[in-house]
Amino acid sequence: MKVAYFSPLPPEQTGIADYSALLLPSLRERLDVQVVRRGARRPPRGTDVALYHVGNNPDSHAWIVDALRRVPGVVVLHDFVLHHLVAGMTVGRRDGHGYLDLMEREHGVVGRLLGHGVLDKRIPPLWESRPEDFPLATFVLEHATGLVVHSRHVRDRARAAGFNGPIDVVPHPAWPSPDIRPERVSEGVVVGCFGVVNASKRVPELLRATADVRRSHPELTLLLVGSTSPGFDLDRRLQRLGLDGAGLVREGWVDEARLWRLMDGSDVLVNLRHPTMGETSGSVIRGLSLGKPLVVSDVGWFSELPAEAALKVAPDEHEVETLTAALELVVTRADVRESMGAAAAELARREHGVERVADLYAAALEKAAGGGAVDDAVLREVSEAAADVGISANTAEAREIARRLAEVELG
Amino acid sequence: MRIAVLRPQVPFARGGAEIFTDRLVDELRARDHDADLVSVPFKWYPGARVLTQAFLWRMLDLDEADGRRIDLVVATKFPSYLVRHADKRVWLVHQFRQAYELDGTPLAQFGPSPEDRALRRKVQELDRVALGEAMSLFTTSRNVASRLEASTGFAAEVLPHPPQELDYRCDGYENFVLSVNRLDRAKRIDLLLEAAARDADLDVVIAGDGPDRERLEQLAADRGLNGRVRFTGRVSETELADLYARCLAVYYAPLDEDYGMVPLEAFLAEKPVLTTTDAGGPLEVVSDGATGLVVTADPEDIARALGWLHGHRDEAAAYGRAGKAIAREVTWDRAIGRLLA
Repeated sequence: MKVAYFSPLPPEQTGIADYSALLLPSLRERLDVQVVRRGARRPPRGTDVALYHVGNNPDSHAWIVDALRRVPGVVVLHDFVLHHLVAGMTVGRRDGHGYLDLMEREHGVVGRLLGHGVLDKRIPPLWESRPEDFPLATFVLEHATGLVVHSRHVRDRARAAGFNGPIDVVPHPAWPSPDIRPERVSEGVVVGCFGVVNASKRVPELLRATADVRRSHPELTLLLVGSTSPGFDLDRRLQRLGLDGAGLVREGWVDEARLWRLMDGSDVLVNLRHPTMGETSGSVIRGLSLGKPLVVSDVGWFSELPAEAALKVAPDEHEVETLTAALELVVTRADVRESMGAAAAELARREHGVERVADLYAAALEKAAGGGAVDDAVLREVSEAAADVGISANTAEAREIARRLAEVELG
Repeated sequence: MRIAVLRPQVPFARGGAEIFTDRLVDELRARDHDADLVSVPFKWYPGARVLTQAFLWRMLDLDEADGRRIDLVVATKFPSYLVRHADKRVWLVHQFRQAYELDGTPLAQFGPSPEDRALRRKVQELDRVALGEAMSLFTTSRNVASRLEASTGFAAEVLPHPPQELDYRCDGYENFVLSVNRLDRAKRIDLLLEAAARDADLDVVIAGDGPDRERLEQLAADRGLNGRVRFTGRVSETELADLYARCLAVYYAPLDEDYGMVPLEAFLAEKPVLTTTDAGGPLEVVSDGATGLVVTADPEDIARALGWLHGHRDEAAAYGRAGKAIAREVTWDRAIGRLLA
């Protein structure tokens, strides 16, 4: 079966490019996959099904969504909130009307008025200030013949948005843990936090909790790795909390090899965020591969991590207290760290192995390519048989048949 | 309890699953249960017929019969486990193997077209949904349990059952190797014929019938085996017991068989079993040099092994007796006890 594969790929530096680089070799063992060159307008001739990787970054994904809108296919929805992508493909192309229409379609007249406010620069861009309230996923969903998502959270949101096609929940594949020497930044317990440093990654809350825990457990060191978002004044926050001296090690952007070494040198990994755009986290997946205990926000995909491997912190009014308690637990209890780490490694092996993920992709794509014809054939035969014995449409008997077909996902 | 045993039926075909389900009903009744067999014809081709025929099971109402509640149902093979019931137990003989490990082999049903690929996936989805509804899951062998876990992630308890009831006995070790099987390609009786062609001292009796019979008879003729190979067709239970009682050894080498009653039947007649390293279920009871011989699926190796048994009758008898001890461990009391627990 021929699959046209639309995705950013290395050397593009995006999580989805890395994802595809990891997945493709295994997928190619199962299917005839043709990677479509960047900028292609449609799948090559002879394609049975097209697979479109869609994320929220217009620079990486606008050309993919353009192709999707020409030729529908299976969409890998890496984020549910696509406001930034949609803005790039409408406002960014001087198509304000397109943006307003989409805002109205998903959010009614209020959405349109807010869109006007954005275009007239009366209010800040919604894709920066409140994207989670205006996901604009319909822009993509209406052209998808099927969805691949990484979490039940996104599946449920897609259903709630009215998507009726097949949805396959396929875990994010785990990178095999590389053969590296861990790089430890401190003798004590190292809590690593990897990714962009900003408010939505809950760094202010993490810093406060760290400062709280360090009062009774000065052996804790927070390792903060990643570039700082513009406008986020990290240094002043550190000064205020007394973390500008001991207790914090700061690294900016690091390359992949060093990232792994620093992660492996951490005893606990923290990965928080709120709001969520429905995304998964490559850092968390790496942490699972390394068998590290995790502390995450209790939102979206992160909520679905098993409690044995991840402590979850709700982003509510008690967030800092909960986070403090979670950090205290993992900092003081080596046995807890050990059992959580073992559970994380087992989860990576069992659920996120790339061969399993490729199997699930092959199943999703095969269903998408021929599933419509199969469903039609089943429905035709069942309805003909029903009609032969006098069961007509819209009767109680026909509804019973339809209900039982749906129970076993036929038709 | 009122128990319905569910069996898809390929009209005019009778094999291990039919023997098993008939016997299960008898054994349940012998233990004072009100048991009955529910059978629905099954045809798995062409195209989407495999799904629509499977769906017939979903439309059955087995909550009660004639105003009386059915307490539990025991589904055995695809697609009988699509049935809806509050206490559905599955004692799995096998899934629809063409959708799994037989795909891409010469025994495959589904081709490379997108429609065929999707059909195969739909069968897999049916399994996930319907088996996921079961209150408990058993398989007749470790092999079936492993396949089930690999394909669906469901773990099942391995619950073997005894073979059919025959007048099992050992009357000696005469100069012939017995094959008891439905004659189809997956049973690989051609390997036995090719082995017989390599050993002029080897006589063979092939009991059973099936779609591959004509080809096998032609192969025997082509290899000049007339006189040394006898095709009996389907035999009566008495004749079968007699063949088991008299043979030197039993050949049983299907490709990746689910379980296979034949080795246990052979053991109850104190006969060693020759099987192959890729036979699947039989390897759970046939141990090389203990209860039989296990060789590669190569006519040379098979001929050599059968020749060895021919020349070492004491060892052959010892293997058969060791097998009998294993076969006697598999009882209906234990199986039904677990099934209804």
